[in-house]
Amino acid sequence: MASSSYHYEDTASAQDLQPKEMRKLAWRSLLLQASFNYERMQAAGWLYSILPGLKAIHKNKKDLSKSMKDHMEFFNTHPFLVTFIMGIILAMEQKKEDREAIRGIKVATMGPLGGIGDALFYLTLLPITASIGASLAVNGNIFGPFVFLILFNIIHFGVRFGLMNYGYKTGVKAIAKLKEGTQHVSRAASIVGLTVVGGLIATYVSFKINYTWTQGESELNVQTDILDQIMPALLPLAYTLLVYWLLKKGRSPLTLIGLTVVVGLLGSYFGVM
Amino acid sequence: MVMEAILIAIWAGIIGIDLYVGLTHMHRPVVTGLVVGLILGDVTTGLIVGGTLELIWMGMVPLAGAQPPNVVIGGVIGTAFGVIAGQDPQVAVGVAIPFAVAVQGLITLFFTIFAPVMHKADQYALDANTKGIERINYLGIAILFSFNALIAFLPIYFGAEQAAAFVETVPQWIIDGLSIAGGIMPAIGFAMLLRIMMKVEYIMFFIVGFILAAYLELPILAIALIGLAIALYDFYQNKNKQGPTPKEEEIADGI
Repeated sequence: MASSSYHYEDTASAQDLQPKEMRKLAWRSLLLQASFNYERMQAAGWLYSILPGLKAIHKNKKDLSKSMKDHMEFFNTHPFLVTFIMGIILAMEQKKEDREAIRGIKVATMGPLGGIGDALFYLTLLPITASIGASLAVNGNIFGPFVFLILFNIIHFGVRFGLMNYGYKTGVKAIAKLKEGTQHVSRAASIVGLTVVGGLIATYVSFKINYTWTQGESELNVQTDILDQIMPALLPLAYTLLVYWLLKKGRSPLTLIGLTVVVGLLGSYFGVM
Repeated sequence: MVMEAILIAIWAGIIGIDLYVGLTHMHRPVVTGLVVGLILGDVTTGLIVGGTLELIWMGMVPLAGAQPPNVVIGGVIGTAFGVIAGQDPQVAVGVAIPFAVAVQGLITLFFTIFAPVMHKADQYALDANTKGIERINYLGIAILFSFNALIAFLPIYFGAEQAAAFVETVPQWIIDGLSIAGGIMPAIGFAMLLRIMMKVEYIMFFIVGFILAAYLELPILAIALIGLAIALYDFYQNKNKQGPTPKEEEIADGI
């Protein structure tokens, strides 16, 4: 009845995924950003990456459709660490977990991995390996580029394939422990998920007014002197809630993307953002 | 020159894909320097210019979804110009940057106009059409390839200096405006998530997450762990309350 929309029709656990299938999924995860866009970000690439897994798990076509539909929802994480989430989520799908719990875990894990991935890959691995390569190259040494590519990718692919297995095992273990109360698990997942979304809005939506009001001697910076004093990240929150409200009113995401482009262009033209 | 321009365009197409898909990082200028140098017959200059551009782009990485000046086009055009004109690497940088900034604006635009395609993907998902989902992703890759190949071909074929002068006629406010819009754009994705997940009883957790980031400036991982602590507390509270007679949902399922 009411619960049926949260559950799959076929609730029997599917067979475990084999190492060969896991490797295939890890390779496919390289396409995570193939269809990147501002409405769903990596969603279609995410679905592409886990698709063979979902096909193996959901033999019932209606369940496959339900699952695919859920995985087309907004998704964005670090492209190097995505296999960890893939592993966990496929473990949950395989055990036919409550669909709300699957969504909650997905949202709860995608944000935190972003920060870890940036620190690990873009602020550590890339500067170190690329500067080794570049220092050889500027001296005309042809091995510079090769040294860079080999060092970088040993770690890149090691992490990518390792996390696929690690995520899957972690997921299977965690589910076995939590299986007793699916409803409680999905509630817990939603709590973490929404806490993270609240934090993501303040962290990743960059919306600032860059305008200083000059009245004789006194200067008033709209962002730091007014808006930040009322509440930090006021504009990101207000804009997100505005978009949320418009979505509920039935406006399409495309309209809202158009609106955002107009806001950016106007802000730039009048030099206030 | 046509042959060289075509080969460089193909390389730009391949690494234009690698920037988003593949991520082997062969798109970094240090690698492009070698390849473009080989195509133009001067490996040493290619390596030197590529290595110089690499150091400049070192700090320009896609942190938190913000798009830095495009490293693919900047690397390809900068190196090609440096080798062809026999210029000091620093001059190559001066030519590379306007292209890289303009292309960054175009990429923002591309990510915007690719959004409608997602509605087709929704339909495929609903029909459990796995081939359809795959085609959409291959389409994205094909567009990335063509786009980067074309953008790299034109200036090398027509002369990078004239092309740079042309690029500079694009009003700065348009490029800035697109980049501002790109910074705000994640709000739409988060709002879509809220529409799916938000229930009145969960609003407090959303507020807590926002406060932790906005006022306390905690990183997302810390916020997730605090959320997890609350969730675990809540989980065991509910479990204990329920006592040793669980499985209420089995009854619900059976009806």
